Amino acid sequence: MFSGNLKKQNSHKLFIESDLKIWIILPAYNEEKIVGKVLKELFNLGLNLIVIDDGSHDRTYEIAYDLIKSHPGKGFLYRHPINRGLGATLKTGMEAALFKNADIMVTFDADGQHDPEDILPVCKPIMEGRADVVIGARDFNEMPSQKKRANQIMNLITWIFYGAHVKDSQSGLRAFNRKAAVALDIVSREYGISSEIIREIRHKELRMEEVPIKTIYTDYSLSKGTNTIVGLKILVKMIREILK
Amino acid sequence: MTLLLYQYIGILIGIIGIIYTFLRFREGKMSLGMLFIWGIIWIILIGLSLDPMATGYFADLTGIGRGLDVVLILGLIGCYYLIFRIYNMIENIEQEITHMAREMALQRENKDLESKEDKEN
Repeated sequence: MFSGNLKKQNSHKLFIESDLKIWIILPAYNEEKIVGKVLKELFNLGLNLIVIDDGSHDRTYEIAYDLIKSHPGKGFLYRHPINRGLGATLKTGMEAALFKNADIMVTFDADGQHDPEDILPVCKPIMEGRADVVIGARDFNEMPSQKKRANQIMNLITWIFYGAHVKDSQSGLRAFNRKAAVALDIVSREYGISSEIIREIRHKELRMEEVPIKTIYTDYSLSKGTNTIVGLKILVKMIREILK
Repeated sequence: MTLLLYQYIGILIGIIGIIYTFLRFREGKMSLGMLFIWGIIWIILIGLSLDPMATGYFADLTGIGRGLDVVLILGLIGCYYLIFRIYNMIENIEQEITHMAREMALQRENKDLESKEDKEN
């Protein structure tokens, strides 16, 4: 477990020393305001990036394109011509990463909610051979109460439907090794993917660990992601899946 | 036998329905299965139009009060079934669209969207 200072010191060193190919997967939809900043930060850490634009209407793609062009070989950009949802976007990203022979894939939000310093801690259990999937769990006490409740409900639903007790089922910061990425069979297009990943972990008997990560809630990111309405939508979808 | 107006209309619709269904089948726009199903529906429509009292038999058979009620209830159940099927078809189509979007995305790695030249595509 890294303490605050130790995290920063060892970050770059361990990344450089590792032979493992680590790729960061960034799904993005209409994030022109912040995607540039996020990409710059990640490139500055020397990371390999796979960015997928899920049919944005704004300049997300163009901004990402310029940044990726200035870091040849370190970044690759893809675009869904039509918006298809988070699930489809992550699937595209994982497939692209597998083509690049990635050993570890880390999904990372493009809206500034995640701290790049959390990438290494989330990879660590995989690098040490202890896990196939690592989920970055947010500290619920730092969440605004509406989000907290919505996420708690999602955790409960995940437990009811998939029998897995997970600290943060909806977290967008996750790491997968090759074995997990190949084994995952995700069908959900939209936000239901978070719970589906839990299901797949159980079905395919993947080893899972949770690592605490920092929560960054800006005014901007608060308006997106899990809230009660989205949670209800996911619930309805899950029920439909079971009835099929 | 003198028929009421709605009976004439029913028979007419039934005949038109059969003809149209047949034509679409010949054009290849309808499957054999659907031809069969709709053919039966049109025949039933004509039959009931000729002899509406026939529904009385089904009413007694099912224990539902009036013949008309049998027709309506069956019609409603048929609608629910069709809606369920249509919903599932749409869901399948959505998944196919997603599959295509994903393939297109992977094929266009690092494509320059603002480029004036478009040689490849």
